Amino acid sequence: MALQSNLNNMNFREREVKITYLREAIFCIAFGTAVGLGVYGFFLYFHIDIFGWNLGLIFAPLAAGYAETILANKIIGEDIGAISAFILFIDTTFYSFILKNPTLGFNIITIGSIAIILQAAFPTLINYILLVGGLGTLSYFLGIFKRVTSYIKINLDYLYYKFIIKKPYKVEIETVSKFDEVASNLRLNNLDFYFITSTDILDRHHTNLGQFHATVIIEKDKRLVHANQKKVETTTLNTLKQAKDDCLIKLTESIKEAGGNCVVDLDIQYGLIGLGGDHYQVTAMGMGIYLS
Amino acid sequence: MILTSANTLENKKIIEYKGLVTGESLIGSNIYKDLFSGVRDVVGGRTSRYEDELEKAREIALRSMEEKAETLGANAIIGLKISYDNLGGTMGNTILVTAYGTAVKSE
Repeated sequence: MALQSNLNNMNFREREVKITYLREAIFCIAFGTAVGLGVYGFFLYFHIDIFGWNLGLIFAPLAAGYAETILANKIIGEDIGAISAFILFIDTTFYSFILKNPTLGFNIITIGSIAIILQAAFPTLINYILLVGGLGTLSYFLGIFKRVTSYIKINLDYLYYKFIIKKPYKVEIETVSKFDEVASNLRLNNLDFYFITSTDILDRHHTNLGQFHATVIIEKDKRLVHANQKKVETTTLNTLKQAKDDCLIKLTESIKEAGGNCVVDLDIQYGLIGLGGDHYQVTAMGMGIYLS
Repeated sequence: MILTSANTLENKKIIEYKGLVTGESLIGSNIYKDLFSGVRDVVGGRTSRYEDELEKAREIALRSMEEKAETLGANAIIGLKISYDNLGGTMGNTILVTAYGTAVKSE
């Protein structure tokens, strides 16, 4: 009986502790939220913007999370996850991107805010991701690590062949595609067809057939290891030249099918297409005509 | 070799259309250029390193086009078009420079 009474007392005390903890936590969150709202109001009132973006969007959640964490450490003895930063983020996003300016939506500022909030909540994990992500982005854009790893791979392959397989190392030669400029020029200009880049054909009698387009899409070289970047660029240029020739021939064929023998105001365009720009697009267009 | 983006040549009569002539060149990635492209010139905020590269590429494309016109027996190029297209690559620095026009024989 006494034991049962003690257990009941313990449960009651645990519940009391939990309720107190919850009350203190809610107070800390409310305090953090109030500080965040105050900071946001301050930034809004004084129009502290960069390129039209109010800095309160970043600093308000940051201040909320910071104030909440400081208070929670003092009252409870541990931080409670910067919940007020999340609340502030939702508030500021709702106010700025939905109420005030509904066209803006998700952008780099929102991503930045999310990153800061997450960093306040999970500092080690987020710092790790930021470091790895940062170095990864840098290596991707500068291509430094790609070159270093290519160099290491080629040398390791060489050592593997020399000491383990004991066979001569077969270097995978990156063939540079050839493009014969003279042959290409002759081929294009011996199609019984006139390519005119200007917009009129002087006094020659002609019949308009309408606007014609031709497009050629080619895939980019996706190989990760390149021993020589210069060779890759030469190959790319030659591939594009060939694609241009193919595109012009395609245009010629479609105009010939319509009964034409000339294109005026010829325009050739190059661009990227596909997810992440993984294809090249070459387009040729112009007015198809019949020159009598 | 006369180069013009117009349809005609001033004070000269076009006798014959010789055909289409094109020239292309590509500016690729370059660590030195990429790293220092952010350091702009003191006056005017221009990045002369890039300007030089583009000028060089344009010259190559034009020269290639002119050589082709010469092989066709032309002495002028009318309707000249030059375009610069960004083809991605390292920091978006792969730029294709193209020049093309109609090779003609004039008086």
